[in-house]
Amino acid sequence: MNYKLLHIFRNTPFGRETFLQSLYFCKTINAYPVVYIPKSDKFLLYFSNDAVQVDLDYSYLNMPETAREHSEQLLEEMGFKPRYYEPKNYTASTLPDISTNFDYLCSPRSVSDLSSKIGLGHIGPRVRRIIKHATFPVLITSPVFKPWKSITVFFGGSENAMNALTLGLKIAMSSGLPLNIYTLLEKKEEQDYRELIKNNNLESLVNQYSQQWYFYNKSEFENMLYEVSHDSLIVLGAYGHGVIKEILLGSKMERIQSTLNNNLLITGPLCRISLQ
Amino acid sequence: MSKIKNWYKTIYHRLFHLDDRLLLIVAGSIAGICSGLAAVALRLSLESVLEWLHPLRHYWWAFVLPAVGALLSSFYLEKIAREGAGHGVPEVIYSVSRYGGLLRFRSSYSRLISSFLTIGSGGSAGPEAPVVMSGSAIGSNLAKFLGLNDRQRITLVGCGTAGAIASIFNAPIAGLVFSIEVLLGEWKFVNIIPIAIAAVAGAQVSQAIIPEQVLFIHQPFDIMFADIPASLGLAIMTALISVVFTKTLRKVGKFSQKNSLPLWVRAIIGGSTVGLIGISMPLVLGEGYHFIQSMISDTFSLGIFLTFVAIFAKIFATAMTLGWGGSGGIFAPCLVIGSLTGIAFHKTLFFFLPSVGCASQGAYALLGMTGIISGVMQAPLTGIFLIVEITGGYEAILPLILVSSISSTMSQYLEPASFYFKELMERGQFMRPGTDARILSDLSLKELIDINYVKVSENMVFRDFINIIKRSEQNFFPVIEDETQVYKGVIQINAIRKYALDPDMYDMVFLNQIMDTEVITVSLEEDLLDVIDRMDLHNMDNIPVVENERFIGMIAKTKILDLYRRELIMQTDIK
Repeated sequence: MNYKLLHIFRNTPFGRETFLQSLYFCKTINAYPVVYIPKSDKFLLYFSNDAVQVDLDYSYLNMPETAREHSEQLLEEMGFKPRYYEPKNYTASTLPDISTNFDYLCSPRSVSDLSSKIGLGHIGPRVRRIIKHATFPVLITSPVFKPWKSITVFFGGSENAMNALTLGLKIAMSSGLPLNIYTLLEKKEEQDYRELIKNNNLESLVNQYSQQWYFYNKSEFENMLYEVSHDSLIVLGAYGHGVIKEILLGSKMERIQSTLNNNLLITGPLCRISLQ
Repeated sequence: MSKIKNWYKTIYHRLFHLDDRLLLIVAGSIAGICSGLAAVALRLSLESVLEWLHPLRHYWWAFVLPAVGALLSSFYLEKIAREGAGHGVPEVIYSVSRYGGLLRFRSSYSRLISSFLTIGSGGSAGPEAPVVMSGSAIGSNLAKFLGLNDRQRITLVGCGTAGAIASIFNAPIAGLVFSIEVLLGEWKFVNIIPIAIAAVAGAQVSQAIIPEQVLFIHQPFDIMFADIPASLGLAIMTALISVVFTKTLRKVGKFSQKNSLPLWVRAIIGGSTVGLIGISMPLVLGEGYHFIQSMISDTFSLGIFLTFVAIFAKIFATAMTLGWGGSGGIFAPCLVIGSLTGIAFHKTLFFFLPSVGCASQGAYALLGMTGIISGVMQAPLTGIFLIVEITGGYEAILPLILVSSISSTMSQYLEPASFYFKELMERGQFMRPGTDARILSDLSLKELIDINYVKVSENMVFRDFINIIKRSEQNFFPVIEDETQVYKGVIQINAIRKYALDPDMYDMVFLNQIMDTEVITVSLEEDLLDVIDRMDLHNMDNIPVVENERFIGMIAKTKILDLYRRELIMQTDIK
């Protein structure tokens, strides 16, 4: 694979944890990290139909004189050649445009929440907008570096979920780690989901790479989350429903990410994952 | 529910998707109305705050007012709205030329608030650029909401701009012309109609809310024969003043950026300087509409010397406001400086030729405005139509055209880029539709790369390579390391002829001995323009793309030309 992940580096102990997580992700799926050390507290991501401004908290600008050294150290420890991203274009003098020409993005997370909520809580509208418009999956790391030993896909049958399953399979193929699929039976039966996989020509790959496919009744959502392995990378699709449904019923993605502190890899509606 | 959805989809499709002109007209009118409302809100709030602060200006400490305003404005922009600073208009031009007019939602209100704080406290700046920014952002976000494409979004950005300018000056044609001449840079039929309707909508909003308040009222004036040669002199003077104004703005701004003072200190210094100038020369304070009105209606009483002093004081005050942390635009300062220049010229003319028969001082103030707008913005049509609409007639059209065309030509000769374009040009980001830079920026390296290349191992013996060549039509073969797949170099068929013609060498030569490791490569991150420059510099028709030490593919000049042509056809509608 020749995939690249953009990581926005934060020169703090918390930033080191998320960076290690990004590096572990790259190492496991055979991608390579590109590091951006911010020089201002904001940047812009231009997607095809939205310009998302990411406002970083000031910890991202912490100790700029040692940021490069610290990141290089970690990159070399993990066996990566240091590669840095330097913005070429600026919308305004203190507002760089960051390329969206990456295969993965490690989402910057605010630590403005209470410390007890680090890694949990709501991910906020900016991250949601990034996920909504990105053509690449977004990695939301756990707050503490935790190597993952398996891959878990939450598969609900939607188009986004199918993307997430394809991505999960792709990661399982490149990493050699076992894949588990979790499905909450809402409107369909177990057989319908299996049929769906078959219709999308993923049946043989699912049989080959997945260890288990777990099915839960609608009322067992919390139970399902509890049974997910704590050291598993969770792959899920976001924004499977329309706006109204999401407001009325709430977002599954938000519920999952505010309950589990595993690493999450989220595919948005514009992500197109190919197995090639 | 699904029936309603289907019904909505059918109606939407029938109305808008068959012909997007109707969609753009409807959406453009909405953008024009919203931006018109934003402009009226800013204008009314500025009038109120300037009136409210007026009694305080007689106190000795009043010079701190612009400093407080600039401080609050910079604090709001940096810490609350978290906008990257800037005047607004270059940002809109940048977004239109590079990102299909994508603008942040926060821009639709942030500059209105920050410029209200700056100008309301007495800072020397205009409210036009903030309302342009706001209108453009409204248009852009409306397009985003409706899920429109880049071309349609750019049109709506133009609609927002036109509505804002039309509303603030009650001049719809000036709004239309400014939007197309300065922002979009292309006169296209599909753009003109929605933008014109948006401009009218913006002007109507202004008239409906404040019908009694015409921005500038003027006395009728007669243009005489002597005014024609006199306008030539005025044109030269306005061109020179325009260049001085542009250079001062940039120099003062750069000086401020270079020093290490915190933004809030710079805002205080800039604001206090303007406040101090304002004690002896109050016309430098605020947007200056009141003084423009007095100049147009022949009630301006300063002598020749003081009028010249006022021109330079206003230039310096504007540069200190905008360069040192304040927020606002240069449109209104251009109008003030233009009026002062016109009056200074008129007074000088009468000083030397007291018996000359020419139009009134007010007429020259209007001509001066045209000259400075044309010179600073290098937008001659905007200058002409704004004054035509303010005067409500064409009696001054000949001198207007003379002043405008000569001023813009001469100032372009002395300072090739307008104030709005200069920074973008320096950054290589000024890309008008149909230009090379714009077309190339719209092509991505990914769509140009030919990835169907057979890679060969560096340890391959030449005989095996000959067998591969026989079956392939490739002229270039990337050579890679066996285990790591790392790119090592390229073999060009032309360069290995001597080995191919000597069968004795077939089993003696390995590819790592004959590959070219010095071939220039590019990465996916690079701009196409840089890639082409590099190909030209090294006289290459094909260039390898290497990312993370892995060969990705080749880019050929023929493919670039093909896609360039396709993009050009798409952007200019030329078949």
